[in-house]
Amino acid sequence: MAFRRIDIDQYDEDIYTEEEILADAESGRSIDEINSVVDARATDVRNLLTRGNNSDALTKSLEDPPYGRNLESAKAKNIKTVVDVLNQFRANDIPTAIKGLNLDQQDVLMKYLYAALSKPEQFNSGMILNWHEKLTEVAGPGSIVRVMTDKRTVF
Amino acid sequence: MILLDYHNVILHDTLSARFESEKPEALDMTIVDFDGVLYHLSTPTSKTNIQISFKWRCFPELINYGANDILQREYGTMLVTPPQQGFDVTLNVDLTSLPQEAEAREELIRKVSLLKRNIMAAPFERAFKEQEQFEDEKQANPNPELMAVHYREDEAIYVKANQDRVTVIFSTRFKDETDRVFGKVFLQEFVDARKRQDLQNAPPVLFSTREPPLELRHLNLQDSEEMSYITFVLFPRHFAALDVREETISRIQIFRDYLHYHIKCAKAYMHTRMRARVRDFLKVLNRAKPENINVEKKTATGRTFRRT
Amino acid sequence: MSNTLRPYLTAVRSTLTAAMCVENFSSQVVERHNKPEIEAGTSKEVIMNPLMISRNENEQVLIETSVNSVRISIKIKQADDLETILCHKFSRFMMMRADNFVILRRKPVDGYDISFLITNTHTEQMYKHKLVDFIVHFMEAVDREISEMKLSVNKRARTVAESYLGQFM
Repeated sequence: MAFRRIDIDQYDEDIYTEEEILADAESGRSIDEINSVVDARATDVRNLLTRGNNSDALTKSLEDPPYGRNLESAKAKNIKTVVDVLNQFRANDIPTAIKGLNLDQQDVLMKYLYAALSKPEQFNSGMILNWHEKLTEVAGPGSIVRVMTDKRTVF
Repeated sequence: MILLDYHNVILHDTLSARFESEKPEALDMTIVDFDGVLYHLSTPTSKTNIQISFKWRCFPELINYGANDILQREYGTMLVTPPQQGFDVTLNVDLTSLPQEAEAREELIRKVSLLKRNIMAAPFERAFKEQEQFEDEKQANPNPELMAVHYREDEAIYVKANQDRVTVIFSTRFKDETDRVFGKVFLQEFVDARKRQDLQNAPPVLFSTREPPLELRHLNLQDSEEMSYITFVLFPRHFAALDVREETISRIQIFRDYLHYHIKCAKAYMHTRMRARVRDFLKVLNRAKPENINVEKKTATGRTFRRT
Repeated sequence: MSNTLRPYLTAVRSTLTAAMCVENFSSQVVERHNKPEIEAGTSKEVIMNPLMISRNENEQVLIETSVNSVRISIKIKQADDLETILCHKFSRFMMMRADNFVILRRKPVDGYDISFLITNTHTEQMYKHKLVDFIVHFMEAVDREISEMKLSVNKRARTVAESYLGQFM
């Protein structure tokens, strides 16, 4: 019965592998390049926050998220940047902040909210859940579906 | 029913029925009690002679601690020697020479149904006596030994007299994880209950899981996750007066069964709760199913059909 | 209801609503097979990104979606030994009755206490929003049930200890 244990799909030329799926999501930039972009953005965002410009910091942090494979450290860093910004908002300011974002930015924010929710040991879930609730009210379930289906993941 | 009875209810009821009935009948009955005790009721010689035989795995140990004296004292002429083949003690009740008064009869029945308790009382009575010798300055101090009664497989009671108290240690085994966790909760409550003002007079209770307490260290007992040790410290106020002493002995003996009985009850209660909760969940889930999916419908001509 | 529980359940509710867009989908790999893709795992392209929602480290929900099925795994709060036992007993009790709970998985996913598997057949035969209601209701009720059971065990233990020791008066 040994032949039954052979994975015949590996001989299929048309097979669509996970590698290919994920490769589609890559931006083509090198890992170092992305790392430096993420670091630079983290500094920019921090500067905006010290000046008290929360809404600009939020849009800045959601710019050009690192997508693709082998970017664990850059991704983790970017999640932290975004969550740090989110932490600065008071609960009452959240709806206004969300209304200031365009659709794409809302989707990216939704991705980062789920990324933060999957690391409860690192981030305060209560705050994130609050954002999630407000964002869903504005962006609707479609935004959540886009997080599930988009292979360009942020974590 | 929170507290358990000390006597064997089946034995009690069977004897009462026999004593009352007009016509003696043949009898052959096997009864079990807590802790693997076995009773055999029979009428081997004549229908009016009931024999009650008793068997317990720790009987030889109890003989060493003076069970025979108690048997002689409590049952005297009722004892049959030698006991029935395969049993440790046999009592004989002659239905033709029963006392006439109802109270005396009840007393006799009660005595017989307390057979297990009386035999088990031996090490306790001895420990209490030894402790009294400590108190009494005229007598030489005794050298009390640690009396162990292995009354169940893997479980034992240890009794020891000390200068000013008597220590009773139970070792008990919780076979599964749930029992162990429940047991811990229960035992903790036994320890904590004494903090209450009105329970200050109760004997202090200590418990340890896994490791045997200091008093048993020299026995080299195997450490095991499943074992728990419960220590009761009895002071003279618990056994100085005779009637208090009898009650204390009965009560301490029943402790292990009492504890396990209530653990089982807690589990049973949990089960009924879960059943109710699951039923409730199912109800909620069934709300998701559209109603009347398959009702009979009528056509214009009056014929009925089902849509499938 | 505590203040983090409500947003937690709201997030679960909205995520489930979004996840329950499932449709009939036959296997691409095996002829005439039609299996929940999230369980079969044979074609990666029909499996979506798994989403996790957490209230804290001990209470999490993992929602894994595929083209024809959604798998929901729940980690229930367990503060001590007794709660662990009660939770284990309760989830096992339910899973033994998985036949009645059509959407219940007989075994939880690794690292979780209980899992549900909702396929396209379920969403076709039942109202989707009520299925979501059920999951949310379950999460809410199970916490409450476990803490109530724990209380009742403690209360029984106290009564038992006090009535036993009370005899020594």
